[in-house]
This record gives sequence, structure tokens and C-alpha cells, in this order.
Amino acid sequence: MKYQSQKIALNFYTAAVVLFLVQVLVGIIAALQFMWPDFFVLNFNTIRTLHINALVVWLLMGMMGATYYVVPEESETELWSLPLAQLQFWATVLAVTLVVVGYIVMGIFPQANMEIFGTLLLNEGREYIEAPRWADILIVVSVLLFLFNCFMTIMKTKKFTAVQGVLLGGLTFLALMYLPGMFYTKSMVKDQYWWWWVVHLWVEGSWELIAAALLAFMLHKLLGTDVKVLAKWMYIEVGLVMFTGILGLGHHYYWIGTPAYWLWVGGIFSSLEPIPLLLMVWDAFRTTRETRGVVSNRIGLYLTVSHAIFNFVGAGLWGVIHTLPQVNKWTHGTQLTTAHGHLAFYGAYVLLIVAMIYVTVPSIRGAKEFNQSKGYQSFWWMTISMVFIVVTITAAGMVQTYLERLFGLDYVSVKANYNLWFWIFRAIFGVGFLVGVLILVVDVLTLGKKPAASGS
Amino acid sequence: MSNNAAKHLFIWGSLLCFVILIVLTVDTMGKLDSRAPEITAEVDAGKKVWHKYDCIGCHTILGNGSYFAPDMTKATVRKPKGYLKKFIMNPRAIRPNAAMPVLGLSEKEANDLIAFLDWMSKVDTNNWPPPPILAQAAAGKAASAGQVLFQQHDCAACHQIKGIGGVAGPDLTNAGSKQPDPDWHIAHLKNPESLVPDSAMPAFNELSDQELRDLAEYLVTLK
Repeated sequence: MKYQSQKIALNFYTAAVVLFLVQVLVGIIAALQFMWPDFFVLNFNTIRTLHINALVVWLLMGMMGATYYVVPEESETELWSLPLAQLQFWATVLAVTLVVVGYIVMGIFPQANMEIFGTLLLNEGREYIEAPRWADILIVVSVLLFLFNCFMTIMKTKKFTAVQGVLLGGLTFLALMYLPGMFYTKSMVKDQYWWWWVVHLWVEGSWELIAAALLAFMLHKLLGTDVKVLAKWMYIEVGLVMFTGILGLGHHYYWIGTPAYWLWVGGIFSSLEPIPLLLMVWDAFRTTRETRGVVSNRIGLYLTVSHAIFNFVGAGLWGVIHTLPQVNKWTHGTQLTTAHGHLAFYGAYVLLIVAMIYVTVPSIRGAKEFNQSKGYQSFWWMTISMVFIVVTITAAGMVQTYLERLFGLDYVSVKANYNLWFWIFRAIFGVGFLVGVLILVVDVLTLGKKPAASGS
Repeated sequence: MSNNAAKHLFIWGSLLCFVILIVLTVDTMGKLDSRAPEITAEVDAGKKVWHKYDCIGCHTILGNGSYFAPDMTKATVRKPKGYLKKFIMNPRAIRPNAAMPVLGLSEKEANDLIAFLDWMSKVDTNNWPPPPILAQAAAGKAASAGQVLFQQHDCAACHQIKGIGGVAGPDLTNAGSKQPDPDWHIAHLKNPESLVPDSAMPAFNELSDQELRDLAEYLVTLK
């Protein structure tokens, strides 16, 4: 670590992995509720809200931590204001805690979710963006403070690198795309139209920009590859992400009450979405292969390349299989979407943040050598479990598509009878995933603190 | 390609795509109202109920949301409104092993929610969800007038026969063994609550006497 203020990244990383643990714990409860709906004091909807909100928030905190590390390093100066970054961190933690308490209160007393000043007090009842309006405003303020601090840091030395440009461009785009989710519409069709702007343009737009920028940063840091070469490929990748992803939004507008021309727009552009993700895999392999000399942070490189591969498989392949309207007509809203969601988030963003943690934390803690074995253990526990979870839910989705959509059996009987074993297996693999996350949390908290044992 | 060219391609290409998205959005917004019925105050109140109870935390609507419970896009087409209202207010009184808990909706909230779901059912969704093709292929082989009526009135939306059909109402696989008297079935079809207290099944008064007789004769053959 070159700059003291980069240490703030550790706060964000710690909060991120703790929330990751919470996400997986409630995920297992949700998996069990597929078999026993009354298994827990909170109903499935509250548990699922916690599961997906914890995911979004911990990934965002991971991205912020990563950015606080990257910006000083690229601009070659301390952060503009460390106290502001600390304030922003604690304010975010406080806001997240309040929102979570609100969800739990509403889960126990549904009537507590009152309408106040035209908005719901505890839960907006909109998937992924359940956070109430007052929390939306706090989130926007927090992100603006964060962006302001980063931009002011860059302005100190006026060193504006390509990686920073795409990283902060992606984060600014992310902040802007939160706004279409912040107004009420009477029509559920318009509601979902704008809601998809937030969700799709985040995960298939701005977040992929952040991923491409962090990929270039990590490859440079780990392998010492020429920045110019990395930057060129990064621009090509993000250019293709935006070219395919922005209008690829159309694949969410097939069946929600929007005009039929979206079938063409969505079908054509979203079919191309895997291309930039494949390019990122090639980029990671090419850069690694061309490197001369020994890579000391092997686990960091291992995770970086794994992120690129699983980004392509989860977000790309598992998405493209049901993106054409002719297929999607039958599969839309089935467990296939769940399978795609799990592998895409894991590959594209969970592994990205975990890789970023392993690439930067040893340097923050000043460790030249560190014990890498737990990193591999956690990776394999998580990855094997996630692959089996995804295979299980994919199979459940195929059974559901066939029996419910094609054959006309009732949703409830397919879920309760024909897919029962898939729910059982999914919960078991969920526990395997939890083991991986527990190893990860312990490792992140201790990584590089003790000198590495000889030979490791 | 130089770095600068790649950068410009990214920036200007992204902006161009975004401009196209905005143009399509403006066009779409202009067309949406004609693709759905008018939104009354009741429908709007019902949509707020949908959000208040975080229904999307378990259900999908327009195919989006959670995959824990059935899709609600065409709910009032698939199920009678009277049944839906009773189920929403107290699910396990209607079906003891229902996964849905009692959320404490008031009667007004339940009415508003059904008005919203009814509005939702009439939105032009480019024919989604499509009718199950295999079930359609199997239909049309009805052996009796009663079986034709059973299909026409979509009784299978709520009732199962030999594993096929809904689970909202009782399984009819052995309906003939349980109630072998056709007159019982006729009286039940005319007014379910007169024979089954708190029944959530709607009355089928629109059927003629002959149709009722045909349907009842079919039901007693199920053994």
C-alpha cells in the first residue's frame, strides 16, 4: 500500500463480507422455506428481501472499498478527505441497519408498513429496491459523497487514468440509474418499465463497466502488464457491454404490457450480450499467458481469472439460453431465471469483489507473502456448491417449464411434488456454500496479519 | 485500433445507444395506456396494497418477482374473484396446507387488490403466458357432454383429476365415490355454500338444467 488513506477500503471490505455471510444464512432459511413455509419466525417474502438486499448492498460496499483503494493508487495521492470517507462508511452502515430493522418489523407486523407522505414507511414492495424512499435519499447522498471524494482526489494531481475513468464513469452511471426507481406510477406496466431501468442498467450496464475496470486494474497489479494494452481492451469490452446491454434491456420488455417491437430489439441485442464477457475471459487468459516471471499473489490471479470465466458462464451463457422471445415465452418467470440470477451474480460480482479483496488486502496490510491456502479452500467450497445449486435449480426450471407451462399442471403441485427433491438438494448445497463463506470471512479478517509459514 | 479510437467508440457508441433507448421509451410510454384498461381509484389503491404487503417477495407479476408462489398476471382469469378474496384474507381456511400466511388485509384492501389484479389480467402482454400447448393437444378428446362442460368452464383451474389441474379446490379424482348422488352435485353447483359452509367456489347459475345434469353425471363417473 502506498497511501495511508487506502486503508479505508478495509472497513468496506469487512462490512461487505459480514453482509455476505448474512445473505447466505438467510438464503439457507429461504431454501428451507421452499419445503416448510413456516420454518422461521419471518415469512419467505421478508427473508428473500433480506437475501437480495444484502447481496446488492455488500457488492456495492465492496465496489466502494475497491474504488477507495484504486483511486489514490492511480492518482498517486492520498484521498481528498479520509474523514469524509469514514463518515460515509458509518452513515452507510447506520442506514443499512435501519432499513434491515424496518424489514424485520414489517415481517412481524405487516400493518406497520404504513403510507406516510405518499410513500411506504418500511418497504416499498418492489423487488431489489425494497428500501423505502427515505433510505433511497440516504443512499443517493452516500453515493454522491463517495463520488465527490473520489473526484476531488483525482483533481489533486489531475492524474485521470483509463481505469479510473471507466470505474468512476460506471459508478456515476450507477448512481444516475438509481433515480428511475424513485417515483411512483399508477400503472404496474410503467412501474416495471422504469424498475428494469434500475435493475438491468445496473447489472448488465454500469456494474459491468466497474467489473471491466477492476479486471484491468487487477491484471496490471498482479502481472505488471502494460497499462496501454489493458486499457485498449477494456475500452473495447465496455464499448461492447454498452452496445449490447443498453438495448438488451428490451429482453425484459417482451411480456410486461409493452409494444411487440421490443421482441425484436431485446432478442437481437441481448443475444449479443455474451460477446464482451467472452472477450474478458480471453483478455484474462492472454494477459496471464504473456506474463514473464513469477506471480506472488497466485490466489489473487486465480480469483481474477475465475471471475472472468464465471461472469461469461453465469451472466452470458445462462442468460442467453432463455433470452430469445421464442424460448422466453415458455421460460419467463420460472426457476430458470433463478438459476441464471444465482450464477450471474456469483460469477460477475461476488468473485469480482472477492478477487479484489485478495488482490488488495495483503498490500494494505503490508504483507509481501501470505498464507493462500484458505483462499483456495473458500473458493472451491463456494464454487462447487454454487455450480450444484445452479444445476439443481436449472433442472427444477426445466421441469417447471415442461409441466406447468407446456402441460398445464398447477404451479403449486409442480413446486410441491415434482420439484421437491431439487429443493432438498439446493438446501444441502447451500450449506456447502456457507462453509466456503465462513472460511472467506475468517480469512479476510486475518489475511496478511501473520507472516506466511515457510513454503506456502 | 488506437486507445483513443477505442475510447471514443465506447463513449459515443454508448451515448448513441442511450439516445435510441430514450426514443423507444418515449414511443412506448405513448402506447402503454391504449394497451391496458383505465386505472380507477380502486385499481390504484389495489396496487398500493400489492406494494404494502410486499406481495412480490413471494409472487411474480408479469413474470417478474419472486418464484416462491404462483404468477399473478392473469389471476382473475385463472381463478374466480370470490375464491381469490376468501383466499387472500385467510388462505388456510380455504386450503389448509397453503404456504401463504394470514397477512391481515382488511375487506377493503382485499377488494382493492382484486380490482388491481383484474386490471392486470386485462393488460395486453403480447399473449403471455401462452396457453399450455400439450394440455390443449390433449383436450378435445372429451367423451361426454359433461366432460366438455368441465373443460369449457375451466374447472381444472381449481380442481385436479388424476394429478392434472389446480389445487385451489378439492381433488375430484374420486368425486363419484365421495358423492355418488348427481342431485347433490347439481345443488352444489347451483349454490356451493348451501352444502359446504364457507365454500370459496362460485355458484354456476348460468348453466341450464340440462347442462347441470350433464356435468353432474360426468362428476359421478369419477371413481
